[in-house]
Amino acid sequence: MFDTGRVCVKIAGRDAGKTCVIIKKIDNVFVMIDGETRRRKCNLKHLEPLDKTLNVNEDASHKEVITLFKEKLKIEIKETKPKKAKPRQRKQHIKKEKPIKETKKKSQQKTDSAKKTEVKAAKVETKAKTTKKTEIKADKKETKEKGIEAAITKEIKESAKDKESSAKKETTKKAEKK
Amino acid sequence: MVSGRFKSRSKRRVMVKTPNGTKRVYKNRKPSKATCGKCGAVLKGVPRATKSELAHMPKTAKRPERPYGGVLCSKCMRLAIKEKINKS
Repeated sequence: MFDTGRVCVKIAGRDAGKTCVIIKKIDNVFVMIDGETRRRKCNLKHLEPLDKTLNVNEDASHKEVITLFKEKLKIEIKETKPKKAKPRQRKQHIKKEKPIKETKKKSQQKTDSAKKTEVKAAKVETKAKTTKKTEIKADKKETKEKGIEAAITKEIKESAKDKESSAKKETTKKAEKK
Repeated sequence: MVSGRFKSRSKRRVMVKTPNGTKRVYKNRKPSKATCGKCGAVLKGVPRATKSELAHMPKTAKRPERPYGGVLCSKCMRLAIKEKINKS
């Protein structure tokens, strides 16, 4: 019953309802099938034999089986190519550090130059401030010295005036006594 | 007071423990198990899930990948194919 060339219909599995031909008998249980189904080993329990036979060799290729199906059974078999798994498009993590670094460098250079100028300006300002402070201090000292001198001169003058007045008083007193 | 739409028993009541005590929650019931259209046997490979759960499943996970998959059991499917062959 299940000899090579016997046309069958597969009953079980995802190829159920599709016609196939027995290519090779492996043992009492399993056979090799090809046709509308995939070329594979199959259990005899999963096949329903038909009353048609094809002249197929044991080493017949899939293309030969397709031509036989077309000519004798008038069944066109669509050849499906196995799908090639597309390589996954992984997200490429672009390192933006380098351009950032360059920009950073430029910016850093800019900032450094700006900082340097600022520091220089600050130094000049501080120097000017210090010089001003020293000038002010010197002025204060001068004013103090001047004030002291003026006070001393005032005191001297006052003392001289007092002396003169006292001498005048004494002379007047003497004159009165006389 | 229960709102009107939850008064029927079409939804199942689930008690949920909360920090403030237990709370009654209304959830959709699961559908019954899928059966064979011919013999009534329970179908294997068909999940018993709600609509929203099925929506997130791939098609291959919802039914067996064979003719009449998810409708007939494997035995009835074989018989149906054999009947077709005999008729033709």
